[in-house]
Amino acid sequence: MSGAARGVTDDAIEDPVLAATGVQRRYPLSRGWSWGRRDVVAALRGVDLQVAAGERVGLVGTSGSGKSTLLRCLLGLERPDRGTVSLAGRTVQPGSTASLRWYRRLVQYVPQDPAGSLDPRSTVRELVTVPLRHLHVPGDHAAAVTTALTRVGLDPELTDRRPGELSGGQAQRVALARALAPGPVLLLADEPVSGLDLPVRDQVVQVLADLSAREGLGLLLVSHDLAVVARLCDRTVVLADGLVVEEGPTTDLLTRPAHPRTRDLLAAVPTLPA
Amino acid sequence: MPRRGWVTAASRAVTVLGVVALIGVLPWLSGRSPELSILRARSAEQEATPEALAAIRAELGLDAGPLGLLGHWVSGLLRGDLGTSWISGGPVGPGLVEALGVSVTLMGAALLVALGTAALLCWPPLHRVARGQRGRTGGAAGAALTALPEFLLASVLLLVGAVWLGWFEPYGWTGPSSVVLPALAMGLPGGGLIGRLVADGLTVTGTERWVATWQVAGASPGQLGRALLRRTLPALTTQVALVLVGLTGGAVAVEQVFAIPGLGRAVLGAAEAQDLPALQAGMLLLLGISALFGGLAALTRALLLGRALRSGSVPVPARTSPSRRRDRLLPGGAAALLVVVVAAGLGRDPLASAHPRLAAPSAALPFGADASGRDLLARVAHGAVQTVGTAALVVLVTLVVGVLVGLLPRASVGPVEVANAAPPVIVGVLVAAALGTSQAGAALAVALVAWAPIAAYVAAASAEVRRQRHVTVLPVLGVGPAAVTWRYVVPTVLPAAARNAVLRLPGIALALAALGFLGLGATPPAPEWGLLLAEGMPYVERAPWAVLAPTGALVTASVLAVSLSGLSRRPRRPAGPVAVPPGTTAPSPAQPAAVG
Repeated sequence: MSGAARGVTDDAIEDPVLAATGVQRRYPLSRGWSWGRRDVVAALRGVDLQVAAGERVGLVGTSGSGKSTLLRCLLGLERPDRGTVSLAGRTVQPGSTASLRWYRRLVQYVPQDPAGSLDPRSTVRELVTVPLRHLHVPGDHAAAVTTALTRVGLDPELTDRRPGELSGGQAQRVALARALAPGPVLLLADEPVSGLDLPVRDQVVQVLADLSAREGLGLLLVSHDLAVVARLCDRTVVLADGLVVEEGPTTDLLTRPAHPRTRDLLAAVPTLPA
Repeated sequence: MPRRGWVTAASRAVTVLGVVALIGVLPWLSGRSPELSILRARSAEQEATPEALAAIRAELGLDAGPLGLLGHWVSGLLRGDLGTSWISGGPVGPGLVEALGVSVTLMGAALLVALGTAALLCWPPLHRVARGQRGRTGGAAGAALTALPEFLLASVLLLVGAVWLGWFEPYGWTGPSSVVLPALAMGLPGGGLIGRLVADGLTVTGTERWVATWQVAGASPGQLGRALLRRTLPALTTQVALVLVGLTGGAVAVEQVFAIPGLGRAVLGAAEAQDLPALQAGMLLLLGISALFGGLAALTRALLLGRALRSGSVPVPARTSPSRRRDRLLPGGAAALLVVVVAAGLGRDPLASAHPRLAAPSAALPFGADASGRDLLARVAHGAVQTVGTAALVVLVTLVVGVLVGLLPRASVGPVEVANAAPPVIVGVLVAAALGTSQAGAALAVALVAWAPIAAYVAAASAEVRRQRHVTVLPVLGVGPAAVTWRYVVPTVLPAAARNAVLRLPGIALALAALGFLGLGATPPAPEWGLLLAEGMPYVERAPWAVLAPTGALVTASVLAVSLSGLSRRPRRPAGPVAVPPGTTAPSPAQPAAVG
C-alpha cells in the first residue's frame, strides 16, 4: 500500500477497517419553535457497514435512502445519534481539526461535482497542497503534488493553472489528486461521476479503477448509478429508508437481487454493460 | 435548531437591555458636568460656588455611580415615573406624553403620505406585469427626488409651500393645515423608497415561472396582480419596517424645521439644554414607537406568509437584472456636477467675511454670499471636501466593523437589528448628550448605525460562500474553521462588501449633514453643508440663494446616493455572491446536507 507508506508513518495502522456500527441519525423537520412534538425524519435507522483494506464497496440507494447522511457520519462531519464510526477500532466523531487529522490522512473524500469543489481563485499547486499543509503531512510537499498529479494521469505542467483554465476531465482529476495527496488508504467518493458527460465520466472511472487495481487503494463508492458500481466495486451494499436491506458480491447482487428495493433499482437501469 | 434559536434570542435580548441601560446611565456617561448649566438655567443670580454645585450634584443623584443611577431610573420607570426635569424641577412625564400625541398624529399623517406615494410609484409596474408585459425597475429619476432626506425636504417644502406660495402655516401646530407640509416632508422619502422597492420587487417577481403558468391558465390581470403583490410584499416587510422606524428620526428633523411641539423637538431641546431626564424619557418613548413599528412589520410578514414562514419553504426571489447603461447616467451626472462645484470653489476662501452681507449671486460670487458676507461657492466646495472626508473615514470604520460583526451571523442579530432600526438622528442626539456636539461626535453617531447594513450583507454573503462546494469540502481536507473564515470566506466577501460600503458614502455624507443641520454635528464657522442650510434658513425670504446653494448641493448628493444604492442592488456578475438589499436579515445558515 504505497499510500499508507507515504503519509502515515507516525500512526501506521495494521488493519485499517472502516466500520459503522448501528449508526442512527435523525433530523428535525421544521425550523424554529413549534408547540408540542417536533417532527423528525429518521435518515439512518441503525446501519452496519464495513470496508476492509483495499476493498472496493459500492453503496447504492435511491434519493432519500440515507446515503449522503451515512457518508457525512463516516467522514466525521456529523455525529450519529446512536452507534459509532471507527477506523481500525479507533472512534471517529466530529471534533477539533487536530483530533481528526490522523483520520483524514488515512481516509479521504471525493465530493460530488469534484470540479465544483475546487476554489476558483487557487492554482492547481495550491489546491493539491491544501490537505498536505493542513493535515501536517511530513515531507516535500512540492514533490508530493507532482506525484499526486502523475498518479491521476495529469501533466505536472498544469500546476500553475486555475480551475477555470482546465477542461472538465482535468478538473475532475485535480480533485482526485487532491484527495490522494495526503496518501489515504481509503477513498470515500460521493457520486463522483454523476452529472458528467460520458467521455469525462469514463476517464474518471478509469482513473479510479487503475488506482485501486494498481495501488490497492480502498474505495467506498456512493452512487445511484449501478453501471459505475458494477464496473468499480467488488461488493455492493443497498441502502433503503435508512437501513441496509441487502449486501453481497456485486455480480451476484446485480444478477440475482433478493430484496424488492434492489430489484427496483435494477429495473430503473435500461441496460447494463456486458 | 434550538441552540441557534437561543443564540439569536439572547443576542436580541442583550442588545435591547443594553440600549435601555445606556439611556439609563446617560447622566453618568455625559462627560460634561451638567450642574453648572443647570444652575445657570434655574437662576441667573446664584453664585456658582463649589457648595452650590455640590448641592445640585447631590440633588440629581450624580454621585451614585452608573449602577445607582440606573437602579434609581429603572425603579422610577417601573412605578410609572419618567423622571424629574433638571431645568424646571417638575415631572417630565405629562409634557412628553402631550408631545407624544402630537408626534403620533404627525407620524400617522406621514404614514398615509408614504403609502399613497408608494402606491403611485408601484402602480405602473404592477399594471404592466399583471398584463404579461415585462416590468421595468422603478423610475430612478422620479424616485430619487422622493428620496431626499427629511430635513432637506422639510426646508424645501417650507420655502415653497409656506414662504413663496403662502398656502400653509410655516410654523407651529395650530390646526389641520399645520400637518400638511410636515407630513409630506416625513412621508415622501419613505414612500419613495417603499415604492421603488416594491416596483423593483414586482418586476423581478414578474419574471418567475409561475406567472407565465397563471397567464396560460387564464388568470385575470386582477387575480395575477393580487398574487404578484402577495408574493412580493413579504420579502420587503423588513425594509418597510425600517422606513417606518425611520419616521421617528424624521420626526426630530421635521418637527425642528416646522417648530412643531412634538416628541422629536422635545428630545432635541432636552439634549441642547442638557435636561437629561427629559432626554432619557423622550428617547425611551421614541424607541417604544420604533419597537411597535418593528413588531407590526413582523406580524404583517407572519400573516402574509402563514405556514410557509415556519417551514422555511419561501422561495428565494430571482436575482435582479444586471444594470443598464442608463442607470449609471444619473449617478455619473450628479458626481460630475459635484466635482465641477468643488473644483470651482476650492481655491476660494470659505471663512473670510469679504463680501456684502447676503450679496446676490453675480459673476464674481456665483452662489452669492451668506449672512456674514462669506462666499457661498467657497463654503459649499470646502464643505463637500470636509463632509466627504469625514464620510470616507466613517465608511472605512463601518467596513471593518461590518465585516467583523457580519462573520458572526447569529450572535450579531440583535445589534444589527437595533443599529439598522436606529435613525442616525436619534443616535446623534444620544452621542451629543454624552460627548457634546462636534463633527467627530456626528461621525461617531453615523458610524454607530452605518455598520449594520454592511454586517447584514456580509452575514448573508458569507453564509452563501460557506454553502459553496469548494468551501464545504474544506473540513475534510483538514482546514479548520478559522482558516476557512480567513482564507476562503473573507477574501471572497470583502470586495463586494467594500463596494457596498463605498456606494454608501453619499448617504453617509447626507446623514452627517442632517446632524449638522440640527446642531448635533459640526459647529460654526465650519462650512459643513447641513450647517450652511441651517444658517441660511432665517434669511430664506430676503436671500433665497443662502438656502439654495446648500440645498442644490444636498439634492445632488441625494440623487447620487439613491442612484448608487440602486446600482449596489444589481450585481454585475450573476455568478458572484448574492447582493442582498441593505437591511434584510441574513438567510439562515445551511441545513444539514440533504438526506440521501
